[in-house]
Amino acid sequence: MNLTRLTAVLAGLLAALLLAPSARAQALDRAGLIANLCGNASAMGEAASVLTGLAMSGDAADRAFAVPLARAVIDRKLACDDAGAVLTENGLDAVTRQPRAAAGEPLTPVLSLKNRATYEQVDAALALRAAPEASQRAAALKTLERRPALIPEGLLEAAAAAEPDAGLKGEIETLAQTAALTAADPAARIRALARIADNPSRRALTQVSALTADPAYAASPEFRAAVDDATVRIGRGIAVGDVLATAYNGLSFASILFMAAIGLAIIFGLMGVINLAQGELIMIGAYVTWLVQQGLRVVAPSLLDWYLVLAIPVAFFVTAAIGIALEASLLRHLYKRPLMSLLATWAVSLFLMNLVRVVFGTQNLQFETPFYVTGGVPVIGDFIFTWNRMFAILFAVVTLALTWGLVRRTPFGLNIRAVTQNRDMAACIGIPTRRVDMMAFGLGSGLAGLAGLALSPIYSVNPQMGQNFIIDAFMVVVLGGVGTIAGTVVAALGIGQINVLIEPLWGAVAAKVIVLLMIIAFLQWRPEGLFAVKGRRK
Amino acid sequence: MVNITRRSLLQASGLAAVGLASPLSAPAFLRNAQAQSGPVKLGCLFSSSGTMANLEGRLNYVVKMAADEINAKGGVNGRTIDVLVSDPASDWPLYAQSAKQMLQQEKVSALFGCWTSVSRKTVLPVVEQENGLLYYPLHFEGDENSKNVVYVNSPPASSVLPAVDYLMGEEGVSAKRFFMLGSDYVWPRTINKQLKGYFKSKGIKESAWKEEYVPFGFSNFQTLVNQIRAFADEGGGQPVVILTVVGNSIPDFMREFANQGILATDIPVLGLDMVEADLEGLDTAKLVGHLNCWAYLQNAKGPANEAFLKNWAAYVKAKNVPFSGTVSIDPMVSAYDSVHLWAMAAAKAGSFDVPEVSKAFAGLTFDCPSGYKISMTGENNYVARGVFIGSVNDKQGFDILWQSKDTPKPVPFSPYG
Repeated sequence: MNLTRLTAVLAGLLAALLLAPSARAQALDRAGLIANLCGNASAMGEAASVLTGLAMSGDAADRAFAVPLARAVIDRKLACDDAGAVLTENGLDAVTRQPRAAAGEPLTPVLSLKNRATYEQVDAALALRAAPEASQRAAALKTLERRPALIPEGLLEAAAAAEPDAGLKGEIETLAQTAALTAADPAARIRALARIADNPSRRALTQVSALTADPAYAASPEFRAAVDDATVRIGRGIAVGDVLATAYNGLSFASILFMAAIGLAIIFGLMGVINLAQGELIMIGAYVTWLVQQGLRVVAPSLLDWYLVLAIPVAFFVTAAIGIALEASLLRHLYKRPLMSLLATWAVSLFLMNLVRVVFGTQNLQFETPFYVTGGVPVIGDFIFTWNRMFAILFAVVTLALTWGLVRRTPFGLNIRAVTQNRDMAACIGIPTRRVDMMAFGLGSGLAGLAGLALSPIYSVNPQMGQNFIIDAFMVVVLGGVGTIAGTVVAALGIGQINVLIEPLWGAVAAKVIVLLMIIAFLQWRPEGLFAVKGRRK
Repeated sequence: MVNITRRSLLQASGLAAVGLASPLSAPAFLRNAQAQSGPVKLGCLFSSSGTMANLEGRLNYVVKMAADEINAKGGVNGRTIDVLVSDPASDWPLYAQSAKQMLQQEKVSALFGCWTSVSRKTVLPVVEQENGLLYYPLHFEGDENSKNVVYVNSPPASSVLPAVDYLMGEEGVSAKRFFMLGSDYVWPRTINKQLKGYFKSKGIKESAWKEEYVPFGFSNFQTLVNQIRAFADEGGGQPVVILTVVGNSIPDFMREFANQGILATDIPVLGLDMVEADLEGLDTAKLVGHLNCWAYLQNAKGPANEAFLKNWAAYVKAKNVPFSGTVSIDPMVSAYDSVHLWAMAAAKAGSFDVPEVSKAFAGLTFDCPSGYKISMTGENNYVARGVFIGSVNDKQGFDILWQSKDTPKPVPFSPYG
């Protein structure tokens, strides 16, 4: 370790000594560089290699000059005109760095896909060498890490030598070792293999297994052992990652199914009403969430990131109120006529959808994506833990716990269960069944509203979104056994997991068909579903 | 469903009754009398409800705007244009039914409509049987050439293949491996079949591509994005995704793609159906660099586009149109071109009869907002358009990455299918 560091420092010093005079002799043609940046794809490619050279060697003044350029091109903040170019970020001329405005109709060059990757790399390389903050340099290192093959040779060593932050210096050296897979020194290669195997992924596997064709694999038994060992370790990592990914995907799909179905399970289980407007209540929940976001934007912009949390009570109570109004005005007249109530709720569903369409339009709503539902972290192998899915899973777990507590542990829940089991008997012992119906309908609707909130970071929110969920939700409720929370959970988990297992094998279309066939077969065998409520149903 | 006023219905049924009552003497005379007076009717077949509403809905207004422009200049052949709107509700068979109603009862001179290929396929027998004229504003899979349909947008040879060539080329990413993901219906299936033929002709091996389909309206893309990552990590050259999912599957796919941390510089997505409207509601900072290919992009340079964008914004404001006045997508411009091309053909023919209008197609040119002079020949009912490749920017729009020098000659039947 020490030896490497020493060599790196020495190499850096040597490079500085050797290159500095030549760099000075061959002064950077600043105007020419800017002209290339404003040129066509190949000129921009040339400019990128000049910038890379500056990141590697070149004097500090030139490097400082180059730092904003790559970023400006990526962000399209370089306005090219006849006199050169202007950095529009701060209104400075790109060459002289004097304030001036762009003349005429300036053009901003668009990066071709190939150049985009190069420029991201160059920008990171420059930042690694010249950014003032350690955090910026660390971020740059992360970017470089994405494409180790494209890191210019010697850059990391030079950066490590100049790095004042000890922790970051270590990280740079680690990456330098990983990048040394193709180095001449066999010891460095074996170290690189071990480093690569520490982060198993399919890409690493491809990289390592390609080494079996390397002459050193046949020649050196040590190298051979290192490659074989790395292959086994990576293979194991990938297998673990795949199992975790499948479980996570299944769980995530299950959480969505569960959120969509739980409200329906309560309504259908209690009253036998097939509420086809449930999907639209989900949609309204999402719209309420959006309204809360818009409201916060005006009232308290500092809390905007937390709109998903702040919208929870609003989404619940608004949709619950709609549900209660629906029950009181329409459905209570139709309890004895299931077909009528089905048609009536369908009409309500169409009405709500078109109402939203008229009021808000048909476009997808624009949601802020707060940090806690953006992106993901790689865990092991190819398993990436995405935060928006995690949000939905956590949300589903909390909803499950609260609903279960409400139904099992409160007097209101006791009433619901009593009415579900035997309506007439419950009425006889003095339970106000009418009020229980109304409140339960409100609860079911409110849960649908919460589903809409939980789904808004995952799916597009528009007036039709509810339609996607209604069939899946019924599938879950019927399979789970009408009106049981446990059944809903198990059915959602089962359907979610089976879907995710089948999809990679036979495709998404077949997965849907197979799952439906399995449900039909299952219901032949157990028409009452997984967990049937023991009781008398009309 | 169909916006037929009671009056027009009465008129039509009254006419039908008269026609039935005296089949020998009256009809020819009556039809002539009807043809000489009043506005000429055009019909729209774009859904205002269902999954396609957000995309198709805006085309109704573009057709009306184009008709207003023509009316302001005195109409066609001395008659003003009246645009009838229907709502086929994203329900494919309903497109055929609406088309039939428009052609039989309303006697529209031309139809403008359909977005998905499956809806066009259902309307096709109707326009052929009734000898109507349908202007179809979407780029599509080709392999069709009906005398009753004007294919205003490009077949694959002048839209998809240039984009794939770009990706495979030195300036693109030298793509070597292709993951084709589409919705399960005729357009993705056909286009992928042609692409596979094209790859074969380029000597690309079968192991270098993979094909997956999802149901309409599918939105749970976790597993598929995992598969794409696994495919990309197998090595063997730069991978790209050729995306032909439609409707809301597009934003849902892109969101999951970005969330799993894949950038355009890792695996670029060529979204064949991706338009600005699909990026509404997405954080595009993480999607910068993904591609699409159309015959028009909002950033197209030129006075024709400036005028179009200005007129559309003004129209949206004046008529209170429920769509964005600042977003302009290719099918909108194609629908706009359609109306003008029809009006020019009708004026040239001096008639509204379909056979006469069709004969006038040869040699028509129009200054399309894309900046190209689009043209038709007598050979087929295709329109020669320019080609754009767009790159997603962080403002939910597309920058022009590449555009063709001129308008390539459209090739209706792919040699690669």
